[in-house]
Amino acid sequence: MVIIGESIHIISKVVSDAIKERNPKPIQELAIAQNRAGADYIDLNLGPVRRDPEETMQWLVNAVQEVVVLPLSLDTMNPIAMEAGLKICNKRPLLNSASGKTDSKEQMLPLAKKYSCDVVISVITDRGCPPGVDARVESIMETVALANEMGIPNEDIWVDPILLPVSASQAEVKETLEFVKILSDLLPGIKSTIGLSNISNGTPEALRGILNRTYMVMLGRYGQYSVIADALDKELISLKRGEMPNIVDLIYRTMDGEDIDLSSLSPKERDYVKTTKVLTGEILYSHAWLES
Amino acid sequence: MEYRAPIETYAGKVREVVIGKGSKAMKIGGESILPLHFFEGSIENPPRLVLEVYDMEPDDWAGAVLEPYKDVVSDPVKWAQKCLDFGADLVCLKLMSTDPGGENAPAEAVAALTKKVATTINTPLIVYGSGDETKDIEVLTKVAEVCAGENLLLGPAVKENYEPICKAALDYGHCLIAQTPIDINLEKELNIKLMKSFPPERIVIDPLSSALGYGIEYSFSIMERTKHIGIMFKDATMQMPIIADLGKESWKTKEAKASEKQGILWESIAALTFLLAGANILVLRHPETLKLIKEVITGKI
Repeated sequence: MVIIGESIHIISKVVSDAIKERNPKPIQELAIAQNRAGADYIDLNLGPVRRDPEETMQWLVNAVQEVVVLPLSLDTMNPIAMEAGLKICNKRPLLNSASGKTDSKEQMLPLAKKYSCDVVISVITDRGCPPGVDARVESIMETVALANEMGIPNEDIWVDPILLPVSASQAEVKETLEFVKILSDLLPGIKSTIGLSNISNGTPEALRGILNRTYMVMLGRYGQYSVIADALDKELISLKRGEMPNIVDLIYRTMDGEDIDLSSLSPKERDYVKTTKVLTGEILYSHAWLES
Repeated sequence: MEYRAPIETYAGKVREVVIGKGSKAMKIGGESILPLHFFEGSIENPPRLVLEVYDMEPDDWAGAVLEPYKDVVSDPVKWAQKCLDFGADLVCLKLMSTDPGGENAPAEAVAALTKKVATTINTPLIVYGSGDETKDIEVLTKVAEVCAGENLLLGPAVKENYEPICKAALDYGHCLIAQTPIDINLEKELNIKLMKSFPPERIVIDPLSSALGYGIEYSFSIMERTKHIGIMFKDATMQMPIIADLGKESWKTKEAKASEKQGILWESIAALTFLLAGANILVLRHPETLKLIKEVITGKI
């Protein structure tokens, strides 16, 4: 599983202040920390960058490239900022992201071709996020076909099925899993990514990690190629590195519907089993899902 | 070959909650079929129809719904008796005088009144605080204490105040109404928290009941899903009976206030909707609504 570290995000006050003040230090610290923790890519999420898009993106890319050699995932919906960043990346970057929206098809996909980079394509269309597996498939087939026509091969495309929070849309969480399961049959050679932490948006802070980690393992079982995630979560990296085979086995068995005797498990194992049941939709989500 | 419609049987069952004491005790819920699926089995306890009583003269009731009670509105004991005379299965006393935004009546006074109502009528009593999260702690714990052993159905216990109210209900032997704001996940969460110290067979869920035209479909969905999850999917944290406190919401609407007939129909449609969704207790306001719903249930119309 390829981990794209999500910590450099404009929503973070530390990051937005640092960008505003052009103070590279806090951002470089975050980059170094994610690199050390085991991230494979560093995501630079700038949002829409309304002011000085070119200069801002290039400043950020340079600041990060000064301290880490990892490839970057450039995350902005502003095509001007995107191109400015793509131009100066030392390693083959990931364009994050294009989608089935008209603007994106017209402005982002050509950039991916021009700079011959990897590109995230999400299932979002002009009408928003398509609900359910079928609508997502329809959207992605269309956008990927267009990208292929433009000369972007499946191997360079990272499909993002769009993940919704389990606290708000439990049924969609299951649909997303189904989508990932069939993706490689639909589009051979294609890669995938997903905003993993979205799964736990709206969940009490202390409980977010286990949802993120469990869902990563579940996605991984169905061939998920990468996740945009909290690389500073040690247990998440541990799972990615295959250091917790026992937990992975429990998650798989729970996904298969095995009736596991909870009393035979450690508290941590129990939590993973309960969390898997919530993410498969077997048990109704509540903030207290670990307590019952 | 004769066709036989398939009949489902379910693994789950709604818990039977007993409210009231001694010969007055009444069973709520206990069904193991989906609402009105009588082809799948039978229900032991029919939905209970309740009329509402205020502990003060209501200042916000529509004239048409206050009219039937006009001779008793200043005396909650007589009012409660009148509700039973109208044919209600039991009575719901709302302690609206305690609202800090209104009369702000002290807990002691309403607790004594509650006791009087509870011991005078020969049915169990449902008691709601004013809905002020902070004041309700004081009011409901006092009511619980003064009415010890009456086995009231007491609430609402909400996320913000359930701990002391739950403790009082436990200490003094009452059942509890767990109220959440039309949200299935929060409903489950509150149940889980209550169940840590409170017996689940003494909990009734109030998912909030919106009025027709004002989001009734959301309340319907939550009740329907609660039944599905409890009965079909056997989730023990969701197997409580449901109370639909709908009279209040229905009569708040301008449509209900427009005329008596329309008001009764507005309330009745909401009541039928929640019956279809699986509500086990319906709290109504107008005696004509009660009559109409009874006739529908017993197949007279």
